[in-house]
Amino acid sequence: MKVTGTVWKFPQDDINTDQIRRKNYAHLPIKEQALRCLETLDPSFAAKVKPGDLLVVGRNFGCGSSTPVHLTLQALGIAAVVAESFGRIFFRSSISAGLLVNACPGILDFTSTGDRIELDAVTGRISNLTTGKSMDGDRLPDFLREMIEVGGEIPYIKAQLKRDAAARG
Amino acid sequence: MAGLHALHKILAAHAQPARTTVTPGEYLQLVPDVFAFGISYNAEEANKFEATMQDLGVKEFPLRERIFAFQDHGAPAPSPAFAAGQKRWREVISSRGVAITDPGAGISHLQMAEGGLVGPGTLLALRDSHTPTSGAVGAFAASVAGGLLTLFALGRYFLDVPKVSLIKLEGTLRKGVYARDVALMVNGKLGQRGALGQAIEFGGSYVRTLPMDMRFTLTNTSTEVGAMTGYIQPDQITLDWCGPRAKRPMVVHETDADFQYETVHTFDVSSLAPQVAAPHAPDNVKPLAAVEGTLINQAFLGSCANGRLEDLAEAAAVVKGKKVHPDVRFVVTPASREVMNAAIRAGYIETLNDANAIVTNANCGMCPGLHGGVLAPGDVAIACNTRNFEGRMGPNASVYLASPASVAASALEGRITSALKYL
Ligand code: SF4
Repeated sequence: MKVTGTVWKFPQDDINTDQIRRKNYAHLPIKEQALRCLETLDPSFAAKVKPGDLLVVGRNFGCGSSTPVHLTLQALGIAAVVAESFGRIFFRSSISAGLLVNACPGILDFTSTGDRIELDAVTGRISNLTTGKSMDGDRLPDFLREMIEVGGEIPYIKAQLKRDAAARG
Repeated sequence: MAGLHALHKILAAHAQPARTTVTPGEYLQLVPDVFAFGISYNAEEANKFEATMQDLGVKEFPLRERIFAFQDHGAPAPSPAFAAGQKRWREVISSRGVAITDPGAGISHLQMAEGGLVGPGTLLALRDSHTPTSGAVGAFAASVAGGLLTLFALGRYFLDVPKVSLIKLEGTLRKGVYARDVALMVNGKLGQRGALGQAIEFGGSYVRTLPMDMRFTLTNTSTEVGAMTGYIQPDQITLDWCGPRAKRPMVVHETDADFQYETVHTFDVSSLAPQVAAPHAPDNVKPLAAVEGTLINQAFLGSCANGRLEDLAEAAAVVKGKKVHPDVRFVVTPASREVMNAAIRAGYIETLNDANAIVTNANCGMCPGLHGGVLAPGDVAIACNTRNFEGRMGPNASVYLASPASVAASALEGRITSALKYL
């Protein structure tokens, strides 16, 4: 599963869920929340980012609450997030929702805002089409790779329900 | 075969199919003893959830008997939008036969432990990021993180087996220094990703003497160092507290003698001074003395970190017979109804009221910045809740985290100070 897009880089470490989407917007429809996405770091981000773009971020991205801020990234059409490392809850929640995420130590030095990169979410291979270089992010464990390949938690559950029904005969 | 940690044994006991051993990094399919679910306030999310359940053909939740549903964030509703969102979520959940506790019952993490739903050996599934709090009773309590729909639809979820690090705390605290100061110190030393994805156990001579209320304060901070969960090995103090409450069998697992911790961090707490986490990160920790005198507009006592009876007792002892500074709003939010009732019986609520503290109903209160004392831009607050991220308790406000006693003393003076002179 490959995506190619233009990079927006936020090099800060520990970007927390309140920075991705402040909690005082959490009751609003997702589309409205998305207009405020990452506003504490760049007030005009939501207006500038285009569907298909990728985020490249620092260590422990998405630490903090379990509140579903990944939905605001998806609502903006962000195709994938590549981080030096992720907060665990954000990482797993994103995979469940079908947002491609990859942990790739060294990614900050490998890309700049505006680069075109290609991510193979299954193998973890990242190619910088602007510089012509490639590197490998973490490979997803089998269970999460399966979930990414079918498109997230809902299709995964459907497949499991089918399997359960078949097992019952 | 390498030894197992008690946490690994809890996972093995709940794995499907059953396991005798587990290896850090592998994913297990698990069936939790308790699946706890917080009623949210976003109507769109509730509608999407209902549509998904219909799409999946889920008429009844397989875990129905084990689901504990509660309302603690922004409840009761502070605005029409919240009210509508909460109403929709309540409909969606209760239509499938799940009871929901009321918005005065308190924070989930307290309700579950106090109600005996969670005890030694329990596997708890809950999305909330401070789920590790329940590790204080010897449960495996990690945030579900992306398995919520699977739990509702299939009654099971997947979790990666964590590595385990040990935080060894030795010694006894000086007067005016509390468990929260220790938790803040740990947060500052390890940083926000010091235990990323791992489990952390709190041990050492300091922990063994600690009453339960304060053990929760320690495990609660696991989240702020990036850990998947926190744990304290059950002992007589745990069993005495949990025993009379237990609604399910308590199973105490022991860590094998040859278990290899990922990292062992050892700290002597004997010379620790009162600590603060300065804006805007829970690991921006320094001695309180470094910010002493900073003017404040608000003080907050509450949350799953420090809204327990011992915390209210400390605050009441500080403010007894005095008045909150006229420029300060001192918001006190007991973390559960049990805490509220016990604090009323002990006279703490009256003491706090007499001091002009603002005592609210039991829940998360201003911790998530949704109601109960939201800060204005430019406001400075001292608080004993879990985290002080920029914007969390009000955009462009600044929050210092400290112990309940430091919070109460600062509320009296209108500026940050330690409680020492009031003890
Ligand atoms: S008190 Fe704060 S940290 Fe604890 S559950 Fe409530 S919002 Fe979360």
